[in-house]
Amino acid sequence: MPQILSTKEANLFRQVIRDYEEKRYRAGLKAAEQILKRNPKHGDTMSMKALIMNAQGKTEEAFNLAKEALKVDFKSHICWHVYGILYRTNKNFEEAIKAYKFALKLEPESQQIQRDLAILQVQTRDYEGYVQSRFAMLKARPQLRQNWTALAIAHHLEGNLQEAERILTTYEKSVSVAPSKTDFENSEALLYKNSIISEQGETERALEHLEQECKKCLDRLAVMELRARYLAELGRKEEAETAYRALIDRNPDHTDYYKRLVDVLGLTAEDEAAQKAIFDEYSAKYPRSDAARRLPLDFLTGDEFRTAAKAYLGLMFNKGVPSTFANLKHLYSDSFKKDTLPSLAEEYLQEAEGSNAEASSDSSKGVGAALFFLAQHYNYHMSRDLTKALEYVEKAIQLDPKSVDFQMTKARIFKHQGDIAKAAEAMDQARLLDTKDRYINTKAAKYQLRNNENEKALNTLGLFTRAETVGGPLADLIDMQAMWFLTEDGEAWQRRGNVALALKRYHTVFNIFDIWQEDQFDFHSFSLRKGQIRAYVDMIRWEDKLREHPFYFRAALDAVKLYLSMYDKPEGVNGANGNNANGEDAAEKKKAAKKAKKEAQKAEKEAAERAAKQNPNKAQKDKEEEVKKKDDDPNGVKLAETKDPLGDAMKFLEPLLQFSPKNIEGQIAGFEVYIRRKKYVLAAKCLKAAQALDENHVKVQELAATMQKTMDGVLESLAPKVQEALKTELA
Amino acid sequence: MDIRLLRPSDIPLIQHANLENLPENYFLKYYLYHALSWPQLSFVAVDVSRPAKTPYDYPKIVGYVLAKMEEEPTDGVQHGHITSLSVMRTHRRLGIAEKLMRQSQQAMVEAFNARYVSLHVRVSNQAAIHLYRNTLKFETEKTEPKYYADGEDAFCMKLDLDFIKQQILEAEKAEDEQDKKKNNGSEEKTKEDQDEGEPVGDVGRDPEQDKKIKVKVGRGLGVGELVERDESKH
Repeated sequence: MPQILSTKEANLFRQVIRDYEEKRYRAGLKAAEQILKRNPKHGDTMSMKALIMNAQGKTEEAFNLAKEALKVDFKSHICWHVYGILYRTNKNFEEAIKAYKFALKLEPESQQIQRDLAILQVQTRDYEGYVQSRFAMLKARPQLRQNWTALAIAHHLEGNLQEAERILTTYEKSVSVAPSKTDFENSEALLYKNSIISEQGETERALEHLEQECKKCLDRLAVMELRARYLAELGRKEEAETAYRALIDRNPDHTDYYKRLVDVLGLTAEDEAAQKAIFDEYSAKYPRSDAARRLPLDFLTGDEFRTAAKAYLGLMFNKGVPSTFANLKHLYSDSFKKDTLPSLAEEYLQEAEGSNAEASSDSSKGVGAALFFLAQHYNYHMSRDLTKALEYVEKAIQLDPKSVDFQMTKARIFKHQGDIAKAAEAMDQARLLDTKDRYINTKAAKYQLRNNENEKALNTLGLFTRAETVGGPLADLIDMQAMWFLTEDGEAWQRRGNVALALKRYHTVFNIFDIWQEDQFDFHSFSLRKGQIRAYVDMIRWEDKLREHPFYFRAALDAVKLYLSMYDKPEGVNGANGNNANGEDAAEKKKAAKKAKKEAQKAEKEAAERAAKQNPNKAQKDKEEEVKKKDDDPNGVKLAETKDPLGDAMKFLEPLLQFSPKNIEGQIAGFEVYIRRKKYVLAAKCLKAAQALDENHVKVQELAATMQKTMDGVLESLAPKVQEALKTELA
Repeated sequence: MDIRLLRPSDIPLIQHANLENLPENYFLKYYLYHALSWPQLSFVAVDVSRPAKTPYDYPKIVGYVLAKMEEEPTDGVQHGHITSLSVMRTHRRLGIAEKLMRQSQQAMVEAFNARYVSLHVRVSNQAAIHLYRNTLKFETEKTEPKYYADGEDAFCMKLDLDFIKQQILEAEKAEDEQDKKKNNGSEEKTKEDQDEGEPVGDVGRDPEQDKKIKVKVGRGLGVGELVERDESKH
């Protein structure tokens, strides 16, 4: 039987809960212990104590105590609820859901438990369960609009669009007083319903709904865009034209509006003149719109292109727009345009020389801009001539020795020449021209990393990271989720043979993706309160494919390749016991590892010093609120000591194959891992996928040969079922 | 270069652009908080000319404005706030920052009835100050000493958005008149135009407020508790 608390203790118990919620952990613990002194077997208090301990980072003790609490009072929903929360905060969602369900069985009326369960269900994409939970929550409190919206979302995410719409309509019909015009929740709910109608493919009805119900919706842009799209889809061309013209008036720099306008006007690629006329109209109306001037260069050909490009380049050079080349280089897939653009830039230079007009006081404009364009042209991979590129950039620099842009391009040219050290040096010179600009600082640090100067790069970046972050620039960059840095730094360590630090960086990237996935957690309830449903659904869809992002792909592929090399040459690459590697290399690696260790120790010391200097009160407070788990392997030494590199590689590989199956590099890496793990069917799958992507890829042909050779050796020894599967895969 | 509304999928590269350009950085979740609280207010400039490298390329962000509504305005007046604005140095002189700002300001008035928009800017940031003061017509309200982490002062600037409100009202008037002409008075003015009934549901109210203290143990971290590195700045 559970112990019963006296009134005073019951009050104290409520205090414990408040303390926990407001993160007064020490006060909470004290109060809990006070209760437990007289009621040592009070399960609920034990659970609360466990919860606080968990928040303080004492996970293991917390679990032990929570289990004990369940032993003394296994019919307490609080104990089960807490048990679920412990699992949830330690990311074991499956067990958490089980515990919540148990708690809910004991206390079916608890809104709190029901909501916690619902949130976990949507977080884990258990839409079926989510629908059930939201239905129960709606039944409990049908007066709340968000409960209706939430059930509609649940149906929507589950793929049941009709039911989602029906729920929203049922709510609308139940309201007798028309919502006010400024009721944002209502405005968004209407647009959400509209998106559901449209998603069902019923454009006609969606348009009707939009025009009748959403006319006064507060998100004007959405209403205008949806209406234009529906009209265009329904072939109501004149109205669609008006709608797109209104959108261009609103934002003359959104390229999509122009494309759609051209579409609804029924103009084809051949109607160059008619198309051009539209853009001319808008560049006259909006002289500051770049899109109206630049987009015709995409479709114009021959002399028309030449004339338009000349005008455009002239304007850009006169203004000194540094992105001119970047904004045009996509045209280089057309060889005529690729030849025309630089010759126009040359022409511009000749004309400027001939006219001898008053030289601009700003040398980044006019001649300087044209020289800059040509330097970038010859530096670009499709039109590369690095000698010429260097000539032009030197001329530009002569004109303006203090230009960061010019100097930056020079560094890029050196990089393409293959002289990484010289490139890094040049980029650092560019940085010195404007030490207050973080952009050039970032570039300089990136080039230092390319040149394997990890320590120097960190110092460079440290000029802009927050000085007060405990742990220095590295800690700040990790805190701020600087993916580019972690990846580049890891790659540099890998090139230097420091497996430990390389792995550490790749794992950090991996962990940040976990954080990004978890970041959506709070929004499952928050967005309902805010009523911004369409944005929420967008976010869910994006989170579903979060790891297809190139940030993930690059770091994960690096990690898989590194693990492969660790497997193939266990003695050579493993920095921890590098004594078997051949002389010079090993010495170099040992040196690097030693240096890295020293760096880390230095950083730690500095951090400790900085922490000591902090306001003691503040430090105390921070400590209590934010229990940061101490990293017990800050330099990746444990990661590098792995006995199973291929097994570890799987963690990175699986999302790679799942989310970026069309990236051939991922399939190749998959094959390499699976064939070594003797997972022949899976290897064959990767091979087949790679072949489908690019049969002529050199590496793919190599893999096919490897596969064949391996099969010749082992096929007979495999189970008949596996043989069968393999034959189908390789057929 | 293309100017459009921010999408959640843009966020990793917005965060990247911010890290490359500015010393004031934020977790991804803070961007999400903006994108999910006021999705109408933040805009990006995208480099649409980049040839794709993989089937999974995300559009490169060359500029962004991250904006919000002040949740608890101290002066009681609804207003917007610019959390962060930046344009890559490689993409300057195309007026991107101004264009981003104008889109955001328009939406602040339309969607949230903002009366003004405020921001902070480093007193040394001449280019940004020029944009705000001369181009966008912001006014400096005061100087906030040591606003930035490195000890630099900030100008607090403000722009009254009444001019946008007036434009909207005029446009609506013109539209109404057109409608009237079209319908020739055959239809009555729709009822919803006049009705200003009570809001339905509990807009802006925290449904957790009226909960019994009984078992609040499961309450997760509210988004309101998000740690922001610093208030907005450039």
